[in-house]
Amino acid sequence: MQPRESGRLSADGTGRRHQRHSLGEWLLVGLVLAYAGLLLVAPIAAMLHGALRPGLGAFWNEVSSPDALNALKLTIVLGLGATFINVAFGLAIAWVLVRDDFRGRKLVNGLVDLPFAVSPVIAGLMLILLFGREGWFASLTDALGLRVLFAWPSMLLATLFVSLPFVIREVMPVLTQIGIQQELAAYTMGASPWRTFWCVTFPSLRWGLLYGISLTLARALGEFGAVLMVSGGMRGLTETSTLYIFRCLDDRNYGGAYSMALVLAVISFSLLMGMEVLKKRTEQRR
Amino acid sequence: MSIVLKQIAKRYGSHVIVDDLCLEVQDGEFFILLGASGSGKTTVLRIIAGLTRADSGRILLHERDVTDLAPQRREIGLVFQNYSIFRHMTVTENIEFGLKLRKLPRNERTRRRQELLDLVGLSGMGDRLPGQLSGGQQQRVALARALAYRPKVLLLDEPFGALDVKIRGQLRRSLRRIQEKSGVTTILVTHDQEEAFELADRIGVIERGRLLEVGPVEQLYFRPRTSFVATFLGAGTVVVGQVSEGKARFGELSLTLPDEIAAEENRRVQLLARPEQVILSDDPRGPGVVSLGQGRVIEEFFAGSHRKVRLRLPRLPGTRQLAPQPPFGEKSLLVDAVVSSSESLSGRRRFVGLRDYHILEAPPRRLLVLAPEGRGSGSASPLVRWLIRKLDASAIRLTVLEVTEAGAKEPKVEARAKTGNGGLEIRTRKGRLVSEVMAELQESLYDMVVVEAPPEKRFFSGAYGDGPELIDRLLKGSDLPVLILKGERERLDRLMICTAGGEPGKQDVKEGGWLARRLAIPVVLFHAVRREFESGPLTRAHLERAAATLHSLDLEVDIRLREAESVARAILEEARNSESDLIVVGRHFPRSRIFAGEDVTRQVISAADRPVLVIAVEEWRLEIPDVSAGSGPKL
Repeated sequence: MQPRESGRLSADGTGRRHQRHSLGEWLLVGLVLAYAGLLLVAPIAAMLHGALRPGLGAFWNEVSSPDALNALKLTIVLGLGATFINVAFGLAIAWVLVRDDFRGRKLVNGLVDLPFAVSPVIAGLMLILLFGREGWFASLTDALGLRVLFAWPSMLLATLFVSLPFVIREVMPVLTQIGIQQELAAYTMGASPWRTFWCVTFPSLRWGLLYGISLTLARALGEFGAVLMVSGGMRGLTETSTLYIFRCLDDRNYGGAYSMALVLAVISFSLLMGMEVLKKRTEQRR
Repeated sequence: MSIVLKQIAKRYGSHVIVDDLCLEVQDGEFFILLGASGSGKTTVLRIIAGLTRADSGRILLHERDVTDLAPQRREIGLVFQNYSIFRHMTVTENIEFGLKLRKLPRNERTRRRQELLDLVGLSGMGDRLPGQLSGGQQQRVALARALAYRPKVLLLDEPFGALDVKIRGQLRRSLRRIQEKSGVTTILVTHDQEEAFELADRIGVIERGRLLEVGPVEQLYFRPRTSFVATFLGAGTVVVGQVSEGKARFGELSLTLPDEIAAEENRRVQLLARPEQVILSDDPRGPGVVSLGQGRVIEEFFAGSHRKVRLRLPRLPGTRQLAPQPPFGEKSLLVDAVVSSSESLSGRRRFVGLRDYHILEAPPRRLLVLAPEGRGSGSASPLVRWLIRKLDASAIRLTVLEVTEAGAKEPKVEARAKTGNGGLEIRTRKGRLVSEVMAELQESLYDMVVVEAPPEKRFFSGAYGDGPELIDRLLKGSDLPVLILKGERERLDRLMICTAGGEPGKQDVKEGGWLARRLAIPVVLFHAVRREFESGPLTRAHLERAAATLHSLDLEVDIRLREAESVARAILEEARNSESDLIVVGRHFPRSRIFAGEDVTRQVISAADRPVLVIAVEEWRLEIPDVSAGSGPKL
């Protein structure tokens, strides 16, 4: 998960992969390729085939239908919003967990991983318990006239929950590794804490952070279970892309499902590729 | 005055890190704070920099009180041990960082940066990133960066610690040159004596948060005032003697007392001779102002430009050797010297003389006497009064601690020196007995604790108030010798040192011997043998060495050996038989495996009807010579 590690070192340390190919190695390589092919390539191929078989025109029609466009727009808005919020709070949480020592630090540190462990469906259920008709916060939201459940706020909350750990888990190791001495040095040179953060600490964090952002965004775009529980899936209103795909399958509109899936896949894929390219370029600069 | 520290104190919890430290550093001076790791030196530096807040005291930089200022506003330059230069900035950006903060115009910045790159010898490397520089070069950048904005004070925290020896030497020379050129007042913190000798205008030696001695390098090396500095800084021979008829007496040697030491009879003094002050000669009337007699070279090390030799000489009667630390069982005088490397002296006999020497005052041992609970010091038992009378020489400083219930408005700690009873100090603390005693031991340095045991026999049950708990805590929570007074004795006439049950017991012998020497009473050396554990020859060798150590303290020694099933019972019986008034036993730390099932120490304390002196035995410490005494720098 470390963004900076891209060295291809062989066992002899020369940087070249070794040339000996024993039978065992051939078998291992074959196994890996078969596994990756089965798990990664075949579904993508099937999806491409399913989306494009009826022709590009049909694909375009499916993608530009009002429902599809609405779903895509909602997904992107939710994804960007969740990413933005989780970057801000993720940075703060990572900072506090690394730099401050307080009672319950370990507990918080463990809880951060909760979204990994808890099924998104359960996360959705928890939100229903909080904001549902008889929920804990129901009276509060009613008093404010705020509609949370089956509307965008609960969908955002669900997305926030499932994508919380990524920024934290990417930033924390970097923060631990750079230590505090550079900052102390900056202080003695006259830099304010704010300036020190932006000029000294942040530049060291940026790659970890960017990696965390792309993972957060990818996760948010693909979220299904939690959002399904809390959105109500109203066509054109609270239907995200993944819910749209799900409904299309239900309606036996396979073309619509494949097309939307392809669009989502392309977005996520280009996100990750963009990261790789950026990383390469900065590594060359170093 | 560039840097003034006034009574700086810092503690974490009850742990004292810096204790009432005062220091003045002159303009343009290169000052080195030298201390072992954990001595508090780095904390002092961080307090000056403003990175750590002192609990009390003031910090003045160039007559400006900066105690409450943030580090940003103190105008200091700081270089850490680890390369703290900004990893994502080029050398140029690093150096200009402080200048940009001060909004210097670009051409000014460029000029200053060029100047500094030249100064630290990195011209032409401005575009490099830290990853492309060696460790030494990175530290040069850190130095240039810290100097760029012309700070008023430069602080360096073991700047060469992470570098290899050769680079270290080069950097040291350039640092000295750069410091002289820039004229900036500098404090460097290090544990490396060589570094301190080479760089410092003045050195301050810090130990356990206390600044022991400050002075020019040569003064600290040749004429230290404290025993710690004499043994910590460099190698040398240190022997303890005493003042007699206005002279410093070390056996037959009678030397003129320096003016700063009062010619008080029996005051203890130390003789310090550095290796290069020792002259070896074939002629009994060889050169040198003082002759120590004839000795044999027992150790020799080739050190390139010279040879280090150690000689064994007949002991100076009535003296005790501190350095080089005598091995257990050694009763001769050991003297370190340096000779030319061209000729080996191994095994030869030579007359030993001193070209020069230094006499310093021996530090007094500090004893803490705990006044019995609720009674105050006035009603101390006859034995305590006898001990106070007997020990209250110039060599020992006694403090009596009274702990009383906390009163809301009164000061928590009160100290008053009682005059007329020779420097006896009485301190009063308010609060719970156990915690206040432990706090007192943390705050001041003591060498021994004297506590009166409560009359109850069942000691460790905890059913009798604070008394037994206190002894329990003293045994577990401090590594000081604890003298537990039991029974109805009014004086001590004989002391029994136990080296029982296979324990090494070297520390018992040393500490017990010290007390017997101060009280001028004879010693019984007792060894309880457990057949299944011990080998006869080893035991005898051990006892012989113990006896030799005691003889070297001029003590009368009576050796007793006895087979026993229960070691504790044997100790108690032998104490009765030999009419010993005090039992000296070792106490093992919990990790010791020797007494896993049977805690002899506790059995003895619980069952004894006479005083017991408990000595901490740290197994590892016995094998590894104390770092602070002896092993000095390469000469």
